[in-house]
Amino acid sequence: MERTIALAIAAAILYLPANLFPIMSSRGIGSNISNTIVGGVIYFWKMGSYPVAAIIFIASVVIPVLKLISITWLCIAVRTGKNPRTMTTLYRMTELIGRWSMVDVFVVAIMVAAVQFGSLMTVEPGAAALAFAGVVILTMLSAMSFDPRLIWDAARKKTTPTHKHP
Amino acid sequence: MTPSKAAAAAAATDPAPAPAPAAALQPDAMLACPDCDALFQRKTPEEGERIVCPHCGATLASHRRNALQRATAFAAAAASLFLVANFFPFLSVEVMGRTNTIGIAASVEALKDNGNAALAVLVAIFILAAPAAMVSGMLYILIPLLSEKRLPGAENVCRILYGTDHWNMIEVFLIGVLVSLIKLAELATVRTDTAFWAFAGLIVCLTASMAAIDRREVWSRLQEAKA
Repeated sequence: MERTIALAIAAAILYLPANLFPIMSSRGIGSNISNTIVGGVIYFWKMGSYPVAAIIFIASVVIPVLKLISITWLCIAVRTGKNPRTMTTLYRMTELIGRWSMVDVFVVAIMVAAVQFGSLMTVEPGAAALAFAGVVILTMLSAMSFDPRLIWDAARKKTTPTHKHP
Repeated sequence: MTPSKAAAAAAATDPAPAPAPAAALQPDAMLACPDCDALFQRKTPEEGERIVCPHCGATLASHRRNALQRATAFAAAAASLFLVANFFPFLSVEVMGRTNTIGIAASVEALKDNGNAALAVLVAIFILAAPAAMVSGMLYILIPLLSEKRLPGAENVCRILYGTDHWNMIEVFLIGVLVSLIKLAELATVRTDTAFWAFAGLIVCLTASMAAIDRREVWSRLQEAKA
């Protein structure tokens, strides 16, 4: 369990530079835009691309935060042993949705690959891209290192030894 | 009752041997739920049946129809699509008369060229190395199994295959592509090319191949083959 917690804390720490540094910058004739993750979301919202803004917001802000909260909850459940069934479902969902946060990193990769027109227009990746990829990887490793059976062990300890499960 | 509920009821009524006499505690005859550690008697599911842990809902075993044939077929399709996806153009972007045509690998190269080598390696793993390893792993295991044989090292390949599953992010990449298309459409004229559709097909076939056969069935068939 220590590994789960350590990885989650590392991910949380890395989440700060991932949001403070720019994730992508584009240079072109007469313009030079540099965007952080949240900056990108706001930009899309203002431009009227609501679905894209929503996708990036959910993938890059909502999911990582929810993942960290879930992992915290799961670690608490190992102590208290409450609601093992719900917690196990939470664990499975956390493992499933974690990788979807990588969307933004792939968007950067594709944009950088696609928009290479020299001085006319060029896109470059920012420091936040690697940091954010690190956050996703660390939360994935954290969830993978968690053993859901610990929750059940804690739940069973609470009941008397002769209790039979239905 | 649906097959899975019937099977779950069957599994649930099998006695957990906790207070049973020692004679019942034979390791080979028992199965521990991987998610909640509950003990059950091992039971082979009928075709189309799925055995589910009554405590936590984890699938303990399943036996899908024609699992091996379907899994192999999809894996073979995935292999061809993977080759097409990587050797044909993926996207072309045109701005003011200048065109830039890229393949999937260009995403990796572009990151490397921009000084972001670490990120380039990660992306290469998630969209190239992981699916390649999974497709070749599936074929290495499944094709010999069709004639009930197995190649050397198949067990290690099987472990690696199911371990790599987490790091395969080709579907996420596709969503990333769709978002990029929307972004790019504002600044330039964008065209999707052959590799784009091959890539989408790869995602479908690889997912179908992994879903077609239950992991435990792969293991038990491996153990029975050629051994």
